[in-house]
Formats: sequence, structure tokens, C-alpha cells
Amino acid sequence: MANRRQTRNQISGPHSALTDFLASNNISAAQIREDYERRLGEAEHQVADEDTSSSPENGKTEESVDDSSEQRKKRRRKETATLGKTNQSKEFARCKVRRKGKANDNDDLIARENLYQKSRSLPGQLDHCEICSKRFTVTPYSKTGPNGGLLCAKCSRSLEDDQKKYKTKKGGPRTGRRQNQSALLDGISQQGALSLVEMCTKKVADNINDVEEFGDLPSPLLHRLSQILSKRRVLTPRTLNLFLRPDLKSINIYDSAKLEMDDFQRIFTFMPSLTNVNLRFAGQLKDKVVKYLLERDLQIKSLQLDAANLVSDTYWRRLFEKLGPQLESLKLSNLDFSLDDETIEVMCRYCTELRRLKLKQCWKMGDGSLQALSSLASLQHLSLNIVRETDSESLLEVVSKLGPRLQTLSLEGFPNVDNILLETIHEKCRLLSKLRLSENAVCTDKGFARLFTDWSNPPLEFVDFSSTRDVDNSNPDGPGDAIGLASEGLIALMNHSGPAIRKLNISSCRHVSRSAFEEVFSIEKIYPNLKELDVSFHPIMDDFLVGRIFHCCPAIKKLVAFACFNVRDVRVPVGVALIGGLKAQSTIVVEGKY
Amino acid sequence: MASEFVTLVSGDGFEFIIPRSTACVSGTIRRMLDSSSKFSEAVSGRCELENISGIVLEKVCEYFCYNEKNKDQTNVPDMDIPPELCLELLMAADYLDT
Repeated sequence: MANRRQTRNQISGPHSALTDFLASNNISAAQIREDYERRLGEAEHQVADEDTSSSPENGKTEESVDDSSEQRKKRRRKETATLGKTNQSKEFARCKVRRKGKANDNDDLIARENLYQKSRSLPGQLDHCEICSKRFTVTPYSKTGPNGGLLCAKCSRSLEDDQKKYKTKKGGPRTGRRQNQSALLDGISQQGALSLVEMCTKKVADNINDVEEFGDLPSPLLHRLSQILSKRRVLTPRTLNLFLRPDLKSINIYDSAKLEMDDFQRIFTFMPSLTNVNLRFAGQLKDKVVKYLLERDLQIKSLQLDAANLVSDTYWRRLFEKLGPQLESLKLSNLDFSLDDETIEVMCRYCTELRRLKLKQCWKMGDGSLQALSSLASLQHLSLNIVRETDSESLLEVVSKLGPRLQTLSLEGFPNVDNILLETIHEKCRLLSKLRLSENAVCTDKGFARLFTDWSNPPLEFVDFSSTRDVDNSNPDGPGDAIGLASEGLIALMNHSGPAIRKLNISSCRHVSRSAFEEVFSIEKIYPNLKELDVSFHPIMDDFLVGRIFHCCPAIKKLVAFACFNVRDVRVPVGVALIGGLKAQSTIVVEGKY
Repeated sequence: MASEFVTLVSGDGFEFIIPRSTACVSGTIRRMLDSSSKFSEAVSGRCELENISGIVLEKVCEYFCYNEKNKDQTNVPDMDIPPELCLELLMAADYLDT
């Protein structure tokens, strides 16, 4: 009551909620304010003192030589006096506790140290920043500088930043397990450093947004850069500009998904001497672009387009009519909207010089297309991956007509062709170096064995018979006469192609027996050129056989063994990537050569 | 007999003296220094690389040593390359076949 009357009688300014709160807790705001002002005054006083006495106690206890003995005595006396005082103070006691355990617990020593340490300002006082010497108000958050003084807000922030930078740098260059595994999956198990070119290329790709132009970077490097950028999905219209140089003859964009119609047109505008065009994921390449391309009169010899689904059959035909005679290589893939049998017929009529043809996942192609293909007289490399079911007769005709000149024959998606195909290959093909027949469930082991027995074709370099096996779930071991590449076929294959073979894929050829593997990779056999081998989904593959493989293939770089559950603890030679396997981490252990 | 060290000279006149074995990481320099070639570089053990600046050549030499040091290791961390240098360094690396 009295309290209230008091306030009523007094004339005072508005009270803040804080003041009320403090008052209720018996704290006087006025007192705090007074203390603060006193401290400020003191600090200013101190600063002024320091300035006038030209700072004799500048942090260090150095005594200049020319000090007169009298002065020294005086100072000594002063010092002992202050030491006596500080020894009794609370602050000193606290300091002593902090230092407990240290060897020289001499009271005077500690006190002297404290005395000559630059007197630390309290929060609220003014001090000079140690780095920039500006005056600032000390707060509880003020940082200590490198020499023990306090720092202003700006300097302490920059100090913090420096420390952060240092920390991140420290953690930077270590390559983690994840990255190792990722590299391993790419088949990279390299010993030693990357080449400088590769390292710089990666670095350029890292900083692609700061690059204004590539200058006269040679074409192979540009190609590699484009690969990296595409893989990281940063090939945008802006980055595309870096690749557009009129002197270049080829453009390779592996991910054109972010490019639009005028970006494609720009390619053909800026690069008049193009002979090689490779645009993948070109989803926005439309009729108009093709029309523009045809108007530009380019000397394109090799054309690869992927997923260009906005191009209609009319424009495909125009393209073939115009460019057909000069095209040497044509690769089209993932087209589900156009490219029907009739268009393929037009292509075969005009593209008479084609040496290389790859048609993958073109949904509209059927028997009519296959029949048309057999008229391509100069074809040397043929890869087909057909979605629709086709008649094996048409394929047989293609192989028997084109076979004699073919160096590459890759057939995927022909699940129903039988041994007659293998016989046709055996009879007709003389120049093959690459042969693929995958996803087939009809050709038998005997058929494969016959193909490779007494075949006048030179040894193959690249063989892929993956997923040729019987797919009857109720009979997992397959029929008595094995279907797909099995024991006999594998032995015959390696006897025929062993000396030259570089890459072999027999994944999911489930019926190869252990004894066949032991024979193929027996102790006296050497396959000097075999670099990549895929034996995934061979349940009989085990540590012993893998060891034999490493022994027989001195050049091997990559062994893929997914779902080989008996491959457990293999000693992997230096520089070999073993992919798959149960314990992916532990198999990286690199030990001596076999 | 060929000396154990070779001198690489940058276009702006800086000289870098490094062990022969490290310099031969570069195919170009290796062929320059091949003693059967009778090139003047092979005789004098001094390669003048006029199209490479001192700054870049210094980094190249750093790479040579880095490569030598990490020869027998796997999972080598990448060397630190300042971004502003990487295009020039890339050109030099391509020229030197490293």
C-alpha cells in the first residue's frame, strides 16, 4: 500500500516491464545503470592514463637496459605492493584454483603473471581491439585474440571464419569408403594417382559455372568434359555454349535433357563443319530442328540420336533422304513414337554407305524393318535390340546376307531364335571380332559348342552371351540337354577365342558346371588379353575358382561377380576391381600379385 | 652418364630442377629425354617448355612429385588445384601427356 502511494506521489517516466520485474526481485534498475556508468567512466579514465604514460606495461615484462636503477627500484617496490594486494583478492584465489596441478605453484609467480597480462576488460567496458585497434564495447561474447587481448565484433567474426575454413580444408581431401565403392563399381581400382589431365578435367567440371570459355582445348578433352558434365547433369544451355566452336568437327552431348529447341539449332548454327553428331536424351529435339539441320547443308557422317521422340516419321524420312548418301554411322535408340518399318525401308534405300548401324529399343520396328536391313551392303557393324516379337526367318536372312562382312554382331531381344542362327553365324561370318547374343532361351549348349568348333572366324575379342539359359521356374536345373551357353559351349568358346578375348560376359549362364570352369581356368591356361569378365549369377563360383581366374588372366582389371555367394574371402591382386560379392568392403584388401 | 636430375624451364624463364624419374611421368618429357633420341634435351638434361608459364609449370612439378609419392598407394586423394589455374594446367597436362 505504502509502496503504491509512493509511486503515486512521485513523478516518474513510464516503467518498462523489465524494470517492474527487476524491482519485484529486489533489483534496482537505477543501481545497474549507475554501476554501468561508473564502469564506463573508469574505463575511459584508464585509457586516458595509458595514453599519457605512453603505456609502459605493454603486455611484456621486458626491462629496457638503460633503465636507471632508481626507476627499477621504484617499480620493484610498487610491484611487491600490488602483488601483496592481489594475493589476497578473490580473483586471485579463483585463478589459483584454475592453475592447480601445475608444477610451479608459486603464489607470487602466478600473481606476477596476472599482473603483467594485459588487464582484461570487463563486459560493458571499452577496449581497443587487438587486431584493428579500434575502440569497442566489450561484451561477454568478445573473443580473445592471438596475443591474449580482446577482439572487436568484426575481427572476431573474421577469426571464426578463418578457423572454419581451416577445419573444412582438413576434412576435404580424404576419400571416403563410399567413394571408393563407387569407383570400384565403375571398375576403377587404380593404383597410384590419377593422371593430371583427368584431375584437371574434373576440377574444370567442378568449376564449370566460373568458366567463360574453354579456349582452344583439344577435342578429346572436350569430349571427356562433356561426359563428366552429362553424368553430373549440369549440361545446361549455358554450359553448352562452351562446346560450340566453329572449328570442331564433332559434338557429343550425353545428356541433352535440359536443352531446348533453339539450343539444338544453335549447335548447327555455330558448328558448320560438324561431321559427328551425338545427342543423347534429346527429348526436345523436334521436327523443326531436323528441318533446320537439313537446311544447313552439313557434312554429317555419323549421327547418333537418343530419345528424340518429337521427330515424326515424315522428318526421319526427309533426314535419311538428304543425309543418307553421306552417313557412315547411324545409331538411334529409345524411340517409341516414330521410326516405323516404312521409315526403316526409306533409310535402307538412301543410307547405302552405312558401315555402322545400331538400333536399340525402337518400339515400332518389326519384321518389315529386319527384311529391309538385309539390303545394307556395306555394313560392318550391326547392333539390334528389338522390342517387338519378330520372326526368326527375317533375322536369319539379315545374318546370312550381311554376315560375311560383319565385324560386330550384337543381338538383344531375340528370345526365340534357335540354333539355326548359331549355325548361320558359323557358316557366314568370317570377320567377327565382337559377338553378342543375350536374353535367349532357345539356343542350346550343343549349338554354342558347334559354333566355336572349327570356325574359320579368327578369335573373338568381345563376347557376351549373358542370360542365355532356360527359364522354367519349375525346373531350376534346366533340361538334360543344357540350354544356353553351358559347360561345352564355354570350353569351346575359350578354346577358340582364348588368345584374343578381351571382354567376356557370361552372367546368368546358369548351367556351366564347376568342372567346366576348372577346365577353362586350369593351371596351364593363360588368357593374356582378358580384361573384363562377368560371372554374375553363377552359384558354383567360389574363392578357389576366382583365384584361378586371377591366375589365368594376368591382364584382368574387372571381375564382376554379383550373387556368387561362395565368393567370400578372395585375395584380390593389385589393380583389379572385384565387383559384387558378399563382403564388398573387405575384398578391397590389396595384396601381392598371384 | 645422364644426371639424376633434370631441369625444366618455363616460358618466362623459371627453372625447376627435379629428379629424372619424376619428370618421366610425362610422356612428352620422357621422349624428349630419351637418351637414344639424341635430342638436345636428352644431351643437356634441360627441357625448355616455352608454352608453359612458371606458375603452371610449378604446379606440374608438384604433380610429378605427388605422383611419385603416391605410386604404390590406392585411393589416392586428389591433388589440390586452384580453380583459376585448372584450365591452363589442363592444357599443359594435355601437352605433356601426363
